[in-house]
Amino acid sequence: MDFGLTDEQQLLLESLDELLERECPESYIADLDLHHKPPTTFRKAMHEAGFGSLGFPEEYGGTPVDAVTLVLLATRVARQGFNNGYGLELLQAMDIIEFGNEEQKAEVLGLLANGEVPFALGFTEPGAGSDNSAMTTTAVHHDGMVTFNGTKTLITNALQSKYLLLMAKNPGVEDPRKAISMYLVPMDAPGVTTNQLDKILWHISDSCEIFLDDVTLPESCLVGVKGNGFKQLMRNFEMERLVIASQCLGLAECAFEDAAEYAAQRVQFGKPIGQFQLIQQKLTDMAIKIENMRNFVFKTAWMLDQGVPLKSQGALCKRYCAMAAFEVADEAMQIFGGVGVTVGTRVSRLWRDIRGHRFGGGTDEIMVHIAGRQIVKDHS
Amino acid sequence: MNTTQSWIVVADDAAATGLVGAARTLGTEVVAVVAGRREVADALATAADRVLWLGEPGEAPVEAFAPAVAALVAQAAPRAVVGATTPSGRALLGAVGAALQAPVLSGIGTVELSGDQVVVTRSVLGGVSEHRTGVEGTAVLAVDAGAAVSGTPAAAVEEVAGEALAGARVTEVRPRERAGVNLGAARTVVAVGRGLKAREDVALLTELAGAFGGELACSRPLAEGVDWLPKERYIGISGQHIAPELYVAVGISGQLQHMVGVREAGVIVAVNSDKNAPVFSQCDYGVVGDLYQVVPALTAALKGGA
Amino acid sequence: MKIVVAYKWAPNPQDADVRPDGTVDLSRAKAAVSEYDPVAFELARRLADATAGEVIGLSVGAASIDTPLARKAALSRGLDRLVLVADDALADADGTRLAAVLAAAVRAIGDVDVVLAGDSSIDVAAGQVPLTLAGELGWLGLASVSRVEAADGGLVVERDLPGGTTVLAVAGPVVLAATADAVVPKVAGMKDILAAAKKPTEVLALDGLDVPAPGATLTTLSTAKPGGGDRQATVIDGADPAAAAAQLVGALRQAGAL
Repeated sequence: MDFGLTDEQQLLLESLDELLERECPESYIADLDLHHKPPTTFRKAMHEAGFGSLGFPEEYGGTPVDAVTLVLLATRVARQGFNNGYGLELLQAMDIIEFGNEEQKAEVLGLLANGEVPFALGFTEPGAGSDNSAMTTTAVHHDGMVTFNGTKTLITNALQSKYLLLMAKNPGVEDPRKAISMYLVPMDAPGVTTNQLDKILWHISDSCEIFLDDVTLPESCLVGVKGNGFKQLMRNFEMERLVIASQCLGLAECAFEDAAEYAAQRVQFGKPIGQFQLIQQKLTDMAIKIENMRNFVFKTAWMLDQGVPLKSQGALCKRYCAMAAFEVADEAMQIFGGVGVTVGTRVSRLWRDIRGHRFGGGTDEIMVHIAGRQIVKDHS
Repeated sequence: MNTTQSWIVVADDAAATGLVGAARTLGTEVVAVVAGRREVADALATAADRVLWLGEPGEAPVEAFAPAVAALVAQAAPRAVVGATTPSGRALLGAVGAALQAPVLSGIGTVELSGDQVVVTRSVLGGVSEHRTGVEGTAVLAVDAGAAVSGTPAAAVEEVAGEALAGARVTEVRPRERAGVNLGAARTVVAVGRGLKAREDVALLTELAGAFGGELACSRPLAEGVDWLPKERYIGISGQHIAPELYVAVGISGQLQHMVGVREAGVIVAVNSDKNAPVFSQCDYGVVGDLYQVVPALTAALKGGA
Repeated sequence: MKIVVAYKWAPNPQDADVRPDGTVDLSRAKAAVSEYDPVAFELARRLADATAGEVIGLSVGAASIDTPLARKAALSRGLDRLVLVADDALADADGTRLAAVLAAAVRAIGDVDVVLAGDSSIDVAAGQVPLTLAGELGWLGLASVSRVEAADGGLVVERDLPGGTTVLAVAGPVVLAATADAVVPKVAGMKDILAAAKKPTEVLALDGLDVPAPGATLTTLSTAKPGGGDRQATVIDGADPAAAAAQLVGALRQAGAL
């Protein structure tokens, strides 16, 4: 089994290192976090260097890339201490590249090139999250137009985005799996209003409630096939879980490094606290968890590349990495002691941001729901 | 080899006390070969025993005389040739090294004669190690130029024939707006690095340097990455090497490439928000904190005599 | 315009293990294209694009400079092709010897108009080799080049010198060493890295080159670990800036540093 990198992966990581050093020092990330600003200049630089279109088909200016490479890059950006800095926006764009019309593709790719977030995903509702059958936002088609009504909530990046990739239900269709369609709705369309939610983590991304009141648009805002919305969205779920797991890995590595260096320097009772076995046990268990996460993430990516059916693998990986990463961050904070909760100590930000991954992209519990059903089914 | 002579090669710059000093140690007769203006040759006549001058350069860059300088040196085959670490000085030394097929030694600490052999201490691999090296053959040395030579002329200036390489001419010189700063002479130097967030915040450090009665310097990124401070104020392996009595590094992480430039400082103080920054293992006093709070407090403490 | 970029495949001494006796173990320091050389690659690419020219990468050194990774690392940085002299006889070669081999390779490539190089190498950091190369070639060598453009069949070269900015018109063949910040080099993207594998590399045998014999040799008499690393490092918590400042000023007064 080869755990080494290819020359290409190594060079790509070196390029990324250079770009991170230039465009994304800790002071930049801390500033974004403090002022709740999106990483526009970093995204733009990533796009100019070709990282913003990895995985896109060549005819759209992209370079095809395997999942292992993508995961390496997402992990590396996260290891900078940078949450949601790279990867997820690529996946979202792929929905449009795969299912959008030419006009939608051109618009979305153009926005990406400028370092902007093309759209926010409008999926979660006050009464419906992973249970999509409870979705109440409606899309009524009439005379070449479509009218939306409903409320979405906890929509990430809504204020930064020009569009909302809206999931809405045709009230005339009974079967929930055939009722949902995908639409690209301009955030400035009449009838769209937002309410920003204050939160304690993920400050570089805003989170909003979005209200749709008789928002009426030409039917050309439909993305892909009417009634296939959920199926289209599901296409990238496995990759999304994997990218989230990679971010958890990278952020946990960052927290671990900070904690280990701190333990080596912080002197109490006449010696560095890293000399005490209670601290050493923490560091050891953290290292084991990171190694497990790394193996889990890269094995899963390898399976995707080999075309091995993932079945429950993606959900298992996401659940494990989100939980283990938070355990690592929590212990890192413990090693820092009171200093760890002060603003300006990186570990406090990592602790907050990793916590969000225990529900973002599907809660720990939903991962049990997905994996558990699959496991029982496989053994029935 | 001529074991009584050591030569210095001068690239249109009277700052040559460093060259003359090293050459005096290595030979009983110091011969200067000067590419550049007559006034530079006249200045060297106050310090060297013989001065060979290649004539007015006109529009030719001083580097165009490198082959002519090298030919004179090669013919004499002295025990040592000393030049400056400046860009032009290195061009002359490069031609000399090529003419003699001899290595050009840099990072020179001490220079001595051991019997007939030139022995130098030099810092190698970017400063991680110091070697004591003996040279078999002509020793070609790049040293810090030092200050301008002056005094009473001791030697006559001999004009010698030396063709410049054709094809290059200086068409414009835009002098710097500000006069150069002599960090090497400052007792206290306050340097700032990437911890600084905006150009206008340089003022905070100017004030701190003033409160210390010292000069302001910077690490490489501030002089070359963002251009917030002029290059003459940049400390580091390829910038200035200084040895002030007090060096205060603010918002500087302490990479080897920077710290090698202040290794000889008396007392080193570091201010950095990252308690894991390497600078904290290379300083005498380290303040872990936000420079935007610590620097004004420090300025106030110095001014208030607290 | 035929442009050669002389670059170095070298480890960063920051990653070296320095033993107490000053001997250095570089085995754990990973080699890469030397820190400032990408600036020269970028200048060369722009100059070549402006003159419909060609950019040839050139590196000389021990056999280890020629690996698939090392080739691709250079070729992904805007080169058209690569020429290497990789021979363990050059493993500990001094700068003049490397310059002599570079010069022989430049002559072997033939009809070269410009050789570009970075400010200084990451390992030796002296900024000397490009200028010694100029000496070996008998060409003009100019360091501290901040801008270079083609004009009237020659070049306009701008230099950032201590006395100010100097502009030159250069007609003949020339060796130029760039300042570290002459341009911000593009990082190699996936497309560049994939394309690098398809670009040609020519390996010249050291024996086949016309390299003069060394005229002086060096003997290392002793090595030492530099001093200055054993400072006392009294750490003051800056959480209360005024108290920290007072404590520091007091300590400096006591130490006689003020």
